[in-house]
Amino acid sequence: MKSSRLISFLCISLTSVIGSTSCDKNEPEDPIIPNEEEVVTSFNFTLTPGGGGSPVVLSFMDLDGDGGNPPTITGGSLIVNTNYSGAITLLNELETPTADISLEIEEEGAEHQFFFETTVEGLKVEYGDADVNGQPIGLSTTISTEEAGSGVLKITLRHQPDKNASGVSEGDISNAGGETDLEVTFNVEVQ
Amino acid sequence: MWKFNRLAIGFFILLFSGTTGYSQNCDLQVSGFVKDLSTGAPIPYANIYLKEIQSGVVSDTLGFITLESLCPGKYHLAVSHIGCETIQLFLNIHGDTSLTIFLDHNSQLLDEVAVVGESGSAILQESQSINSENISRNTEKALGEMLENIAGVSTIRNGSGISKPVVHGLYGNRLSIINNGITQGGQQWGVDHSPEIDALAANRITVIKGVGALEYQGSSLGSVVLVEPEKINQEPHLHGEGRYFFESNGLANGLNLELQRYHKSLAWRLVGTIKKSGDKRTSKYYLRNTGSESANFALQLEKAWTKRIFTELYFSSFNANYGVLRGSHIGNLTDLEAALERDVPFFTEKKFSYSISSPSQKVNHQLFKLHSKYSLSEKQELQLTYGLQYDLRKEFDVRRSGRSEIPALSLEQTSNFLEGKYSNYLARNWVLKSGVQINRISNINLPETGILPIIPDYISNKLGAFALLRNSGKKTSFELAGRYDFESRNVAAISISTPREIVRYEAAFHNMSAMLGLAHKFTPEWKSTLNIGYKARNPEINELYSNGLHQGVSGIEEGDPNLNRETSIKSTLSLTGQVKNKLFVEGLVYLQYIQDYIYLSPQDEIRLTIRGAFPVFRYEQTDAQLTGFDIKTSFQATDRFNVMGKYSFIYGYDRTNDLPLVFMPSNNLIASFKYQFPSIGKIEKLEFELNNRYVFEQKDVLPSQDFVAPPGSYYLLGARLSAERQLKKMRVSVHIKAENLLNETYRDYLNRQRYFANDLGLNLILGLRISF
Repeated sequence: MKSSRLISFLCISLTSVIGSTSCDKNEPEDPIIPNEEEVVTSFNFTLTPGGGGSPVVLSFMDLDGDGGNPPTITGGSLIVNTNYSGAITLLNELETPTADISLEIEEEGAEHQFFFETTVEGLKVEYGDADVNGQPIGLSTTISTEEAGSGVLKITLRHQPDKNASGVSEGDISNAGGETDLEVTFNVEVQ
Repeated sequence: MWKFNRLAIGFFILLFSGTTGYSQNCDLQVSGFVKDLSTGAPIPYANIYLKEIQSGVVSDTLGFITLESLCPGKYHLAVSHIGCETIQLFLNIHGDTSLTIFLDHNSQLLDEVAVVGESGSAILQESQSINSENISRNTEKALGEMLENIAGVSTIRNGSGISKPVVHGLYGNRLSIINNGITQGGQQWGVDHSPEIDALAANRITVIKGVGALEYQGSSLGSVVLVEPEKINQEPHLHGEGRYFFESNGLANGLNLELQRYHKSLAWRLVGTIKKSGDKRTSKYYLRNTGSESANFALQLEKAWTKRIFTELYFSSFNANYGVLRGSHIGNLTDLEAALERDVPFFTEKKFSYSISSPSQKVNHQLFKLHSKYSLSEKQELQLTYGLQYDLRKEFDVRRSGRSEIPALSLEQTSNFLEGKYSNYLARNWVLKSGVQINRISNINLPETGILPIIPDYISNKLGAFALLRNSGKKTSFELAGRYDFESRNVAAISISTPREIVRYEAAFHNMSAMLGLAHKFTPEWKSTLNIGYKARNPEINELYSNGLHQGVSGIEEGDPNLNRETSIKSTLSLTGQVKNKLFVEGLVYLQYIQDYIYLSPQDEIRLTIRGAFPVFRYEQTDAQLTGFDIKTSFQATDRFNVMGKYSFIYGYDRTNDLPLVFMPSNNLIASFKYQFPSIGKIEKLEFELNNRYVFEQKDVLPSQDFVAPPGSYYLLGARLSAERQLKKMRVSVHIKAENLLNETYRDYLNRQRYFANDLGLNLILGLRISF
């Protein structure tokens, strides 16, 4: 009696052991590659001279997203004492067809703002658009140059900044808060 | 076995039925002694209360009790004594009865040297427990925080609510948590992932500060945390316990209810907990989006089929939603630098709120366990356990275009565990235990996120076997254990390069572990224990394959698929003893050497992405060494006044690079003063405690090893007033606690939010516990 009970106990254990290991395969299925619709792969800042002429395009391209291959950054050269109209386009080329992320930013304009900081003497960027509250977004801008010089132009896109904080709607990033969605730096020459 | 069980829950009772035979007259007598469980010394002035007749007696100076003029029948007793956990007993009286009641007195003075679990498995390794009374006094706390008062245990926090225990400097992948006999599955690799366990469903939580509990499967490099519900009391009536707490900080409320009933055919216990907290507050401002909510329940069924076969079924469901400080969600290094400069985090609001929005974590964890025990004979026992765990973790980030509602991380883990164990209690106090364990874990990213997953999908199959031999002698005890583990892992990752494609990895690991323990009692009061253990840990999935931006820490983290396993040799030496039942001392020294210790090494590279520049961290291996000691002393100055002090020291050293190890707990000192008042009328166990916690600055870390220097030392003052009384058939305990009474402004090195915000300010807590 005793031993038969033991045997049945062991049998049950063994069956369940075998059962639990052999039931399915040991390789995970192919993961579904997510549709990375939020990624920005290209940041283009197109500056069109007010009096006509060929536009200057500052661009930052990182086609495989964060990590992987290093990005390609193209700076540009502007003409002294000239006004340009600036337009930012953000693309996601991981999606087919390529998605225009700038439209998302425009739709959520009240939650986003671009900031422009430069070391180039006399280079000024002014906002040319407004969100539903009448505060700037920065997708479209007016740029003016003065004397010749060179330096960098850093453009930052903040998500959920405090646009009412002091100086923020004038383009001062220091009190903006929020978190940085994009931050790119271009070499700019004025000649 | 029974004896072990009872010991494990802190008391046991010896019962001798009288010889006068059956009597219908109400002239029966119950007499006996109340004694200290560990020393056997009589306990005078213990209260024994009979619920049925609503009266009681007090033990005399010799610990002797008599209850007279009792009618035959069933009685419920509550036995309470200051400094002991109140116990409930059930007696079925047919005749004059004599009994001995053991109360666990020492546990309040020192964290008892516990007989762990029903198997008494860890008897030779240093272990410290918190019992259900301690749990009841800390109902508002999460599992990790409850353990914080044990010397040598610290907590990694991610703001409030999210916490992880650290034992002797190791946590996460290197610390196993055993919930109800089963290795906790889930996403233990994440520093910001809390163990998915409701501490209130447990009756006892034990930390084995050991060198390797080889009986358990898991990746522990020494220490283990055991979370155990107790066996259902053999009590034929419905009993239960209700616990409620309110916290001023976060206006948190919690309710916990436990019901149980024993019947020969089936015994059951049901535990449910709900908690909700709003935004926590520092000394100066609210921490926006730091609320949390959880709803958990557990069902335990026990059945003895015959005298020899016993089955237990356990199901628990853990469901929590944690807010993460809004101001800690940053985009890049520039944001981090800006956050470091600020006194008050971004997004701080003047108003308190209960709402939880992104960033947040939603965690669901279900555990199903079926356990059977078969006694082959008095001395031999077979156990079979099956465990199924299903873990769902969703983390939400602040995202564009309404995507904050879509999780940024969505992981599903299923773990199947099967274990067979054989124990043989041989002659002359020898115990032989052996077992086989199989575990299969499948970890899948749910594709809903729209983001490349940070860790890949994988299936891991583990097979382990152990054997343990122990001899418990009168003076010298000895333990020897060995373990073998095999793991095969199949990984399917998505490439970082474009076009995205599936990359597969395979890995297999064979590991051996061993441990040796020796304990010697020099005198009845003084005991020393020496343990040496060798353990190996396989590189975890995040260490091998994580690749990408870890936004919370503003760095790019790169795994290395070629990492080796870590191997560790740890040794602990302890001395425990007491002088004249007045002074209790417990000291533990440890040294751990970890070869190929895996850590995140900051690289010289700063990587440029469209979001800005990020520092790069890579998982690398080095030879590490952990040295430390824990000391605890308790001095019973008078019958009523107790002073207790604890100090923990640890130093982590990277031997290869001659650098300190980062993220090691700060040394800390705890001192508490406790005064126990005499009973006032029916109010018993009136106790006032003042506790002081001093945490030293983590001075070992070099400036180059962190974004910012570790925060300075801090001192926290706390107080507690508690009392108990019997209200007819109910036992009511009340406590009022104050934490950070001085409303100190401070930051803690192990709190990951220290870059962004201060730690918690003043907190007043009211707790209520009703047992019936």
